[in-house]
Amino acid sequence: MMTGSGLARSGRASTSLRPLLPASLLYVLFFAVPMLCLFVLSFWRAKGFELIPDFTLDNYEKAVVSKLYRTLLIRTVVVGFVTAAIVVPIAFSLSYAMRFVFERRGQLILQLVLLSLFSGYLVRIYAWRTILGKQGLLNSTLQWLGLINEPLEFLIYSNIAVVITLSGLLLPLAVLPIYSALLNVSRDQMEAARDLGAGRVHLIRTILLPLAMPGVRTAFAFAFLLAAGDFVTPSLVGGTQSLLIGNIIADQFRGIGSNWPLGAALAFVTIAIVLAIYLAVVQILVRVTR
Amino acid sequence: MVRGFLNDRLNADVSRRRFIQGAAGLATISVLGASAGASAAETPKLGGQLNFLGWDGEHGGNVAKPFLEKNGIQLQASFQSAADEALTRFNTGGRGAMDLLTPNKDFQRAILASNVELFQPLDLARIPTAAGLFPAFKDAPWLVRDGKTYGIPIIWGDEPCVFNPAKWDKMPARYTDFADPKYKGQLVLLDDPFGNIWLYAVSLGMKEPSRLTAAELEQVIEAMLKMKPNVVTIGASHGDMADVLIRGDASIGIGGWAYQTLIAKEKGVKLVVGSPEVDGTFFWSDAYAIAADAPNLDNAYAFIDFMTSTQSNAALAKELGSGCTVEAAYDLLDPSVRDLYPYDNVRKPGGGILGTQIVVPPQENDGDIVGAPAWVEAWQTFKAS
Repeated sequence: MMTGSGLARSGRASTSLRPLLPASLLYVLFFAVPMLCLFVLSFWRAKGFELIPDFTLDNYEKAVVSKLYRTLLIRTVVVGFVTAAIVVPIAFSLSYAMRFVFERRGQLILQLVLLSLFSGYLVRIYAWRTILGKQGLLNSTLQWLGLINEPLEFLIYSNIAVVITLSGLLLPLAVLPIYSALLNVSRDQMEAARDLGAGRVHLIRTILLPLAMPGVRTAFAFAFLLAAGDFVTPSLVGGTQSLLIGNIIADQFRGIGSNWPLGAALAFVTIAIVLAIYLAVVQILVRVTR
Repeated sequence: MVRGFLNDRLNADVSRRRFIQGAAGLATISVLGASAGASAAETPKLGGQLNFLGWDGEHGGNVAKPFLEKNGIQLQASFQSAADEALTRFNTGGRGAMDLLTPNKDFQRAILASNVELFQPLDLARIPTAAGLFPAFKDAPWLVRDGKTYGIPIIWGDEPCVFNPAKWDKMPARYTDFADPKYKGQLVLLDDPFGNIWLYAVSLGMKEPSRLTAAELEQVIEAMLKMKPNVVTIGASHGDMADVLIRGDASIGIGGWAYQTLIAKEKGVKLVVGSPEVDGTFFWSDAYAIAADAPNLDNAYAFIDFMTSTQSNAALAKELGSGCTVEAAYDLLDPSVRDLYPYDNVRKPGGGILGTQIVVPPQENDGDIVGAPAWVEAWQTFKAS
């Protein structure tokens, strides 16, 4: 039997949870339900133009055993990780400068950084193609300066092009959480540490990073997970050697000969692996800065 | 959500229509609406909704506007990004809510052959304008089953090589010749498993290039891999391929689109078309079809009849940079568009080369013959190698 205090607690809990209800419903409707459908589909079979309801692990077996998919998964994780490893330090440096060097003007710089998002995802990829192309801005400038005689071909349609473009695309998204986290770090804490003799590196490692860790973690999540999940950028600037697993998953959902159950299984294997790596890296980050 | 939308748009199947929508500055020619009255007068129950699911642009956004307004029809258009999307929607709650579809030649052939239900046979008496189709389209074998017609062709075209004449005089005799190191860093392909594998199967002299055994498929991929070091990138769409060629990142597009030459011309770049003399190229055609259990049948028939009129067909061909399917529409086309396509082919009865040329493999394995999923996997292996 529930006691009076229990009832009161229950009443308070239900009151406090009520505001979450609309968001929770939307989450379930637009995320959980589609994901569940996709998960169920991953155990089905494709036969000609039909999807056959079934419970088979064949799709998962193929997703894990196939050398083709394994190779692409590894490449995807590496590209995601390298992108995050480039984006997060740059975003941290930029956020640090906005918070502690430019101070009030930092907000203005932040607005400028975020303004780039208004140009649209596709437009920005094409902008990078214009910069990195054989006859692009970078090659033309380097040739004009006499630094190179022939265009640097690796700048476009390569893994390097994919990482550069993804880094450019994801940087604004990584700046926002780190800057927000740094706003919670007071100047008093910084000055107290300095008064106690902390150098700049020590200050960043022992004061700033731990305090900004929620933002860094979010920035890493944005950079790593979005880079690993992208397939538009590789298809537009990656060329023939830079396909990621997302490109192959997309193939399974379009056109004659597509195999939705296999595509769904590949997607869940990818999600599982990428999430596992993300959680491991976050654990390491937390330990390093503890 | 934005990423998802962009991903959908970008990773559409190889679609000319999608490209044309992005290419600015294409005006509708001034012949619109000329035949709206005649067909509308013959259909007594027009008005209300007309549900369209097909390739972008083939809903005739500009061309059909006066017809729709005059008859009080609200066109609810949604666009597919893959050939089989209509079937998926049909089987997942769309049945009874779909009217007009625009299948391509090979998809419609495969559906009719597999007896999967999607289209309904057409009453040609309700589409009198179809009498004006080129001979190849009047009795197109890919649209007929048991003597019944399941579609009215609306546009067609081929997929030649598009190349920069400043770098190349002509294309080699065979597609396998593109393996020559002199083409290094010059090629761009389209992300089209069937078109590319089919072309190389033809090039290797295989008897039935759309019906390959596993060993033959492997042989084709081996031949394609010899060419791969010369490939700069695989275009996500015809628009993307054109962009790569216009920027000069590659100089030859294999399986391209004649209309890319006009787009390049607008940007001050000269590109021309040509295909390997021995191997040739392949042809495509899209048709209007009516879904089984279509709720707005009268509107659908009247729409098809209007769009197959001479003036409308010419306007649509111009707007989409494609070949017209109505014989008299040919005379209304500007030579810059008309001369992009070899009309001799469609003046031949019996489907011409479009009727005999099957590009897409069977859906399922058929004895030793491997089905479409094996082709897709082989293409992925090629892309990822």
